[in-house]
Amino acid sequence: MLQCIFLLSDSGEVMLEKQMTGHRVDRSICGWFWDYVISQGGDSTKILPVIASPTHYIFQIFREGITFLACTQVEMPPLMGIEFLCRVADVLTGYLGGLNEDLIKDNFIIVYELLDEMMDNGFPLTTVPNILREMIAPPNIVSKVLSVVTGKSSNVSNILPDATASPVPWRKSDLKSSSNEVYVDLIEELDAILSREGVLVKCEVYGEVHVNSHLPGFPDLTLSFANPSILNDVRFHPCVRFRPWEGEQILSFVPPDGEFKLASYRVKKLKNIPIYVKPQLTSSSGHCRVNVLVGIRNDPGKVIENIRVQFQLPSCVESVDVSSNHGTVNVLADKTCFWSIGRIPKDKSPSLSGNLVLELGLDRLPVFPVFRVGFKIVGVALSGLQINKLEIKNMPARLYKGFRAITKAGEYEVRS
Amino acid sequence: MAPPVPNLPKTSSPSQPSGKSEVADLKLQLRQLAGSIAPGADDSRRELFKKVISFMTVGIDVSAAFSEMVMCSATSDVVLKKMCYLYVCNYARSNPDLALLTINFLQKDCRDDDPMIRGLALRSLCSLRVANLVEYLVSPLTSGLRDSSPYVRMVAAIGVLKLYHISPSTCLDSDFLAMLKALMLNDPDAQVVANCLSSLQEIWSLEAGNLETVSREREALLSKQVVYYLLNRIKEFNEWAQCLILELASKYIPSDSNEIFDIMNLLEDRLQHANSAVVLATIKVFLYLTMSMTDVHQQVYERIKAPLLTLVSSGSPEQSYAVLSHLHLLVMRAPILFSSDYKHFYCQYSEPAYVQKLKLEMLTAIANESNTYEIVTELCEYVANVDISISRESIRAVGKIALQQYDVNAIVDRLLQFLEMEKDYVTAETLVLVKDLLRKYPQWSHDCIAVVGNISSKNVQEPKGKAALIWMLGEYSNDMLDAPYILESLLENWNEEQAPEVRLHLLTAAMKCFFKRPPEAQKALGVALAAGLADSHQDVHDRALFYYRLLQYDVSVAERVVNPPKQAVSVFTDAPSSDIKDHIFDEFNTLSVLYQKPAYMFTDKEHRGPFEFAEELGSLSLGTGSVENVIPAQIYEASDNDLLLSTSEKEESRGLGNNDSVYSAPGYDTSLISLEDKQVQPESNFLSLAAPTMASHTSSVLDDLLGLGTPIIPPPPTLKLNPKAVLDPSNFQRKWGQLTTSLTEEFSINPQGVVALKVPQALHRHMQGHSIQCIASGGQPPSLKFFFFAQKEGETSPFFLVECLINTSSAKAQINIKTEDPTLSQPFSTLFQSALLLLSPS
Repeated sequence: MLQCIFLLSDSGEVMLEKQMTGHRVDRSICGWFWDYVISQGGDSTKILPVIASPTHYIFQIFREGITFLACTQVEMPPLMGIEFLCRVADVLTGYLGGLNEDLIKDNFIIVYELLDEMMDNGFPLTTVPNILREMIAPPNIVSKVLSVVTGKSSNVSNILPDATASPVPWRKSDLKSSSNEVYVDLIEELDAILSREGVLVKCEVYGEVHVNSHLPGFPDLTLSFANPSILNDVRFHPCVRFRPWEGEQILSFVPPDGEFKLASYRVKKLKNIPIYVKPQLTSSSGHCRVNVLVGIRNDPGKVIENIRVQFQLPSCVESVDVSSNHGTVNVLADKTCFWSIGRIPKDKSPSLSGNLVLELGLDRLPVFPVFRVGFKIVGVALSGLQINKLEIKNMPARLYKGFRAITKAGEYEVRS
Repeated sequence: MAPPVPNLPKTSSPSQPSGKSEVADLKLQLRQLAGSIAPGADDSRRELFKKVISFMTVGIDVSAAFSEMVMCSATSDVVLKKMCYLYVCNYARSNPDLALLTINFLQKDCRDDDPMIRGLALRSLCSLRVANLVEYLVSPLTSGLRDSSPYVRMVAAIGVLKLYHISPSTCLDSDFLAMLKALMLNDPDAQVVANCLSSLQEIWSLEAGNLETVSREREALLSKQVVYYLLNRIKEFNEWAQCLILELASKYIPSDSNEIFDIMNLLEDRLQHANSAVVLATIKVFLYLTMSMTDVHQQVYERIKAPLLTLVSSGSPEQSYAVLSHLHLLVMRAPILFSSDYKHFYCQYSEPAYVQKLKLEMLTAIANESNTYEIVTELCEYVANVDISISRESIRAVGKIALQQYDVNAIVDRLLQFLEMEKDYVTAETLVLVKDLLRKYPQWSHDCIAVVGNISSKNVQEPKGKAALIWMLGEYSNDMLDAPYILESLLENWNEEQAPEVRLHLLTAAMKCFFKRPPEAQKALGVALAAGLADSHQDVHDRALFYYRLLQYDVSVAERVVNPPKQAVSVFTDAPSSDIKDHIFDEFNTLSVLYQKPAYMFTDKEHRGPFEFAEELGSLSLGTGSVENVIPAQIYEASDNDLLLSTSEKEESRGLGNNDSVYSAPGYDTSLISLEDKQVQPESNFLSLAAPTMASHTSSVLDDLLGLGTPIIPPPPTLKLNPKAVLDPSNFQRKWGQLTTSLTEEFSINPQGVVALKVPQALHRHMQGHSIQCIASGGQPPSLKFFFFAQKEGETSPFFLVECLINTSSAKAQINIKTEDPTLSQPFSTLFQSALLLLSPS
C-alpha cells in the first residue's frame, strides 16, 4: 500500500505530490531523500530502488531526469511498488509524449487525474493505457484548439471503462475501426559479452512481439511461429490464452486496440554475432597506443546500420588523440569516446587509432575500457525466430496484415 | 496544514506569490467569477483553479481561498470539479469548519446522473478525512455500494476503508462490512470484488484482536470456498488485484495434495504474466503450497527458474534488483539449481552498481566444482573494473569462493596475480583475503608468503590490508627472511599510523616474531611495547601493558597465550545463519528479502497501522501544574530532526544511553509500537517470554558478584488487562482531569531497571509487554515522569491512568493511579509494580 507519490525534478524539487491515504506523508521526506542522494554521490541512477528512511520505506525509480518516489509504512510486495512506479512512468510518457520537467509542470492537472484513477487509497487500480485513455483524454493539439473554439470541451470523457459489458477487460465491447489493419513486429535485442581474445563469453537475445491492431468488433487472432522451440521463456500480455500455447505453441488472443506488447521471450545459446570489434591497447612509458578494428563477423544477410562504438577512458588519461578512417569520432570532456561508423563500407574495414597520454608517473594504463557497441539490422530477427502465419477470425474479408522484424544491439560489450 | 518545504529549492516559476497579496488577489478574482454564467467563465475559472493548484503543488499555503473555491465549484465542467475535489481534499483536514461547506455540493454530486461524477464525488467525500463529518458519509456510501455503476461501487468499497480509518466505530456500527462481504462474493465486476477484498482484509486485520466474530470472518476468507471462488475468476482481475488474490492464496492451507495440484495448474500461466509483481506473487504461492512435498518443491524450483531469469534480464534495473534479491534467497536454498545458469549473473558494464553487487553475490553462491573456473575467470575481469567498489567486491567474491571450495589451487594463483596488479585497493583487499585463506588452508602458506613477502609495505595504505599484512608478518616470520626488519621499519612510523587496528596488529606481530626469532626481533618488540605503552588509544595501551606484564611474569606463558599452535578455521562465523535465511524465506515477496533480514530485525521501531492516531497525538498537552517538564508526546517540530535521523543513528544513541535529554518522540514511538504489536504479536510474545528466563539467570549471577541484590518479585496478581487497549490523548487528558487520584504508592525499583531507564523507550516497550501503554514521558535524570494507561480486559472495561515519577538516583518510584473503578486500583497497583520490577536492561 503506497501512502504517497512524489515526483521530483533532477534538482530535487517537488513537482507533484499525491497523498493516497489518510496518513499524510510530510514533504520533508523528499528533503531527506535528496540529502541521501547527495550523500551517495548525487547520481540518481545509482540509488537503490528501495530505501528505508527513518519514517518510511521509499520506493524510487529514476526516468529521464525525474524521480518517481513513493512512500509506505507497511509491508508490501516490493515488486508491486517498483512495477507500479514503472507503469506510472510509462503511462505518463505515453500521455505527455515524453517525460521531462516542463511537460510534467505544464500538464500537472492531467498527472493528478491519472494518478487518481491509477491508485485509490494506496492500492493500484488500473494501469492499462488504453483503459485510462477512455477516462482521461490525453492532451493534444486538437483538444486544445477545441477548447478554445467551443470553450466547452473537457479533457475528460464521460465514457466509463465498462468492464462488465465486455468479456475481456482490455477491450471495449463496441469498438469501431476505420482502418482494418494489424501489424506484428518482432523487436530483438542482442546482449553479448566478448572477451579481449574475441571469445563469446555470453550471448543472448531478448525479444518482444509487438502488435498494433486496429480492428473492429471482437477479432480473434492466432499467431504461429515456424520454430517456436527455440524460445526459452515466454511472457504474455494478459490477452494471450495459455492453453493453445502450452499445447501447440501458438499465440491465440483477442487484442486490445492500438499498440501493445503481446509477448516477450529469450533465446539462449546463440553462436552467431554480426559484428566483431578488436581493440588493442599497448602502453609504454606513459603513452598508450589505441587501435580498434570493426568488421562483420557473421553476415546476417541484411545491411547493418547505425554502427556505433563507445568507450570510457579512465580518468588517469591526460589527453586523447584518436582518429578513424571511416565515420566520426567524438571525445567528450569526461573522456568518453563516441565513434559512429554507420554502415561498413565495401572497400575497407573501419579502424580507429590514436594515442593516449597518461598522467605523470603512470607507466601503463591501469584499467582497460569496455567497448560498447550499438547497431541496428532491419528485416532480420537474429534469434532466427520466424512468424509462420497470422490467422484472424470474426473479421470482414478485407484487411491488411503487416510483419516486420528488427534487431538492435542491447548490451553488446567487448572487453579489452 | 501547509507542508513546509525546508531545504528544498523553491520553484523558479515567475508566478510564484511572494507573499499573501497574490493569494488575496486570487481570492478576489475567484469571488468575482463565483456566480458567473457568462460564456467563457468556466475557462477563466479553470485558469484560476490551475493557478491555485499549482501553488498548492509547490507547497504554498492557499487554504485562505477555501470558501471562494467552494463557491466556484458549482459547475458542470468535470475538469473543474476534479481540480476542486483535489483542492478540497488537500485542505479539508486543516480547515474542518470550511470542509463542512463542501459537504453539500459533494453530496449533490454523489447523486449526479453521470456515474463518473458520482464516483469522483464519493471518492473525494471519503478523502476529506474530517472526523466530525463522518455522519455525512454513511448514506452516500450506502447508496454507493448499491449503485448500478461498477465504477461507483468500486470507489465506495474503498470508501468504507477510508471511513474506517476516520472513525472505526461508525464504520462497524453501520452494516458496511456485511455489504462488502456480499459484494465481494457476488459482484459481477472484478475490480469491485478486488476493492472489497482489500478493504475487508485491512479492516479485519486491524479489528481481529477486538472481536471474536471478526477473527472468524478473517479465517473464513481463507476458506476453500472463498479462495477457490477468487482463484477461478483470477483472469478477470487486473494485474494488481491478481497480486492481492495470490497473496491471499499463499496463506491458504490446502487439505490434500490434489488441491495443491489443482491450484498450481490453475495458476501456472500466471508465471508467464507480463507483470513482474504477478509472477513473484505466483511463485510465492507455488513455493508455500509445496513446502511439505520435497520432490514437488524441487520441481517448483525448476519451473520458476526460467521466469525469474527472464525477469532479471528483461526488466528495468529497479525490477532486476528486486528479482535478484529474491533469486539470491532461492539460490541459498538450492544452489545446485542455478549452477549451470551462472552466465545470467555476469555483470554488464552499464548496469547500476546495486545490481552488479547482487550478481556478484549470486556468482559466489552458485560456484561449485563444475563452474568455479569460469566464474572465477569472469570475476577476475571485474577486478580491473573502473568502478572501484565493484572491483573490491569482485576480489572478495573470489576470496569467498576460495573459502568455500576444496580445490583452491587455481584460485590462489589468481589471488596472487591480483597482488601483481600494483593497485592499492586491489592489493589491500587481496591481502585481507590471503590472510583469511591462510587461516583456513595453512598448507598454502609457502606459495602465498613467497608473493606476500615481495610486497612493499609502503604500497599498502588501507588499515585492513595493512593489518592483514602485519598479521602475516607475525604469523609467518619464520618463512619470511626479513620479517623482523620489515616490522621494525613499520614500527618507526608508529606515530603516523592513524588506525588503532594496525597498531594493535603491530604489537601482536612483534610479540609473535619475538617468540619465533628472538635475537632479531627483540629490538622491534622493545620499540613496539614502548610505543604501545605511550599510546593514547585505550585498547592499544592496554594490550601493550598486558603483553609487557605477561612477559615480565613468564615468557613461556606469554608464548602460550600469544603464539599458540593454530588450528585451521573450518567455518567463518560471519555467514548468515540458516535460521535467518529460513525466516526470510517465510517472508518471500516482502521487503525483508530486499534487506536480507527478517522483518523482526528491522521493523522493531517502525511505524505502522492506522495513522490518524499517531498524528493527532500532536495536539496532546497534558494537564497543568504538575507537568512542567513533560514533553508532550510526538510533535512534528520537535521530532522532525529526530524522525529524519537515520535509524542506525538512533540505535546507536540508544545503545549508548546518552539521549537522556533528547527523548526521541516517546509517545509517537510507543503508540505506533502498540499498533504494530497487533501484527507482530507472535514475535514479541516470543521475545518477552524468552528474555526474562535467560536474563534473570545470568544477571543474578552477575549481581551476586557485584553485590546487587535481586529484589523479590511478587507473584503476578490475577487482574487481567486488555493487551490492545486504545485511548487517544485527548480522552486521556479528559479522563485525567475528571478523575481523582484513587491510590498513591511509593516503592523501590530494581537497580537493573534503573540502568534500563536510561532509555525511556525501553520502559515503554517493557510496560507494553504487560499491556500497559505509555502515552507521554519526559523529565531529566534523576527524576523522570511517565504517563501510562491500561484497560481491564473487555471491550468497555474501566481504564487505569497512571502518573509515574521515578527517581533514578534513589531508585524510588511513586505512582498515582486514577481509575473509573477504584476497587480495582489496588490490584492494578500490584500488577503495575510487579511489571516495573521486572524491568531490566535488554
